[in-house]
Amino acid sequence: MSSLTDRYLAATLRTVPAARRAEIETELRGSIEDMIDGRRADGRDADTAEREVLTELGNPAQLAARYADRRLQLIGPTYYLAWERLMKLLLSFVPATVGIIVGLLEATDGKNPGGAVGAGVATAMEVAVQIAFWVTLVFAVLERTNTSLNLPAWSVDQLPEVQANRQITLVDVTAAIGWLVLVIAYLPIQHFHSFVPAGGDDNLPILDPALWSFWLPFLIAVLVATIGLEIAKYRAGRWTWPLVAVNAVLDLAFAVPVVWLMSTDRLLNPDFVDRFEWLGREENLNTVATIVVAGTVLVVVWDIVDSAIKAYRNRH
Amino acid sequence: MVADEILRTHLQELRRGTVVVASLVALRRPDYGYALLQRLTGHGFPVDANTLYPLLRRLEEQGLLTSEWNTEESRPRKFYRTSDEGESLLRRLLDDLAAVQTSLTSLIEGAER
Repeated sequence: MSSLTDRYLAATLRTVPAARRAEIETELRGSIEDMIDGRRADGRDADTAEREVLTELGNPAQLAARYADRRLQLIGPTYYLAWERLMKLLLSFVPATVGIIVGLLEATDGKNPGGAVGAGVATAMEVAVQIAFWVTLVFAVLERTNTSLNLPAWSVDQLPEVQANRQITLVDVTAAIGWLVLVIAYLPIQHFHSFVPAGGDDNLPILDPALWSFWLPFLIAVLVATIGLEIAKYRAGRWTWPLVAVNAVLDLAFAVPVVWLMSTDRLLNPDFVDRFEWLGREENLNTVATIVVAGTVLVVVWDIVDSAIKAYRNRH
Repeated sequence: MVADEILRTHLQELRRGTVVVASLVALRRPDYGYALLQRLTGHGFPVDANTLYPLLRRLEEQGLLTSEWNTEESRPRKFYRTSDEGESLLRRLLDDLAAVQTSLTSLIEGAER
């Protein structure tokens, strides 16, 4: 059996650059033997002295890193803030966006509308994990190779306009506007290309085409106005009572028609409903209507209460 | 207990740079790793072996130390010595250390006024 010292040297030298290995080995072995001799002179027996010396030298991987001048961190202070910022930015909207798109495709594909939510959530999580992994990997490589990112140095001009008490962050607003744009884009897209197999070359819109005479343009107008509200919110930096009022009006202007149309069976395209046996059954359609209505009401109530609470917190 | 930990970190920070200065001074007389460790400890510079040995190699790579193998004794030993370059750097470091001491003294005296 090899001695502890041999094993310690082997463990240390494994990760030291090969060119310097032999010299470091001779020197380190000598130093260890010197240290052991020193302890034995103090009256320890050989085994105890060897154990104590190697314990004092510590983890061989750490010692090797010191010899090789290697960093014992995945991402150090040079890159950490850039990593964190990029990570937050990407995770704030990419997984959700991809998840929604996949969910919508799945839902309109016609084969498995029930699994659409699951497919969307699973995809979003997968995308989030992939983003986290690849971004971290790239930064870890940058850290190892010590590559300069040439990022502009921080200057006072980058200070946000209202530093204290900013409730509405740029990330939130960007994400919200991204969502709104997606929804606005989806309304006409589903009319021309819903991915629902309609037989022949025809497309089968999901929403009732009759609604284009008034309600769908109206809903799009409300959504566009909501984008304006998001921008106004960001400029104000916080919730104010006028913003809460406008937000409530816009929420209701969107939700009330949706709820009303859904409960009077006028929201979905009748041809689309007929297309699916499952959806075509009266009780199932009612269930879907109930879920849509309840979901819409919940979201609207939550949004209004949330904005009011935040505005209330801002009182002086 | 927390105070001990804080004290330890601050002392460590304070001592970090002085190991280089102490090594460069000590190695005006050539010496090998373990003997240097003993000498530094004896003069009140307790330094970990796993810090000192890699440090000596780094200083050598930077040209601040020169080295020579001595194979006359029972085991081969690498003797380090402060190079001319190391000597001129050391003078700068010592000047700076003295300047820190002076500034600190004047600050302490100023505070007492």
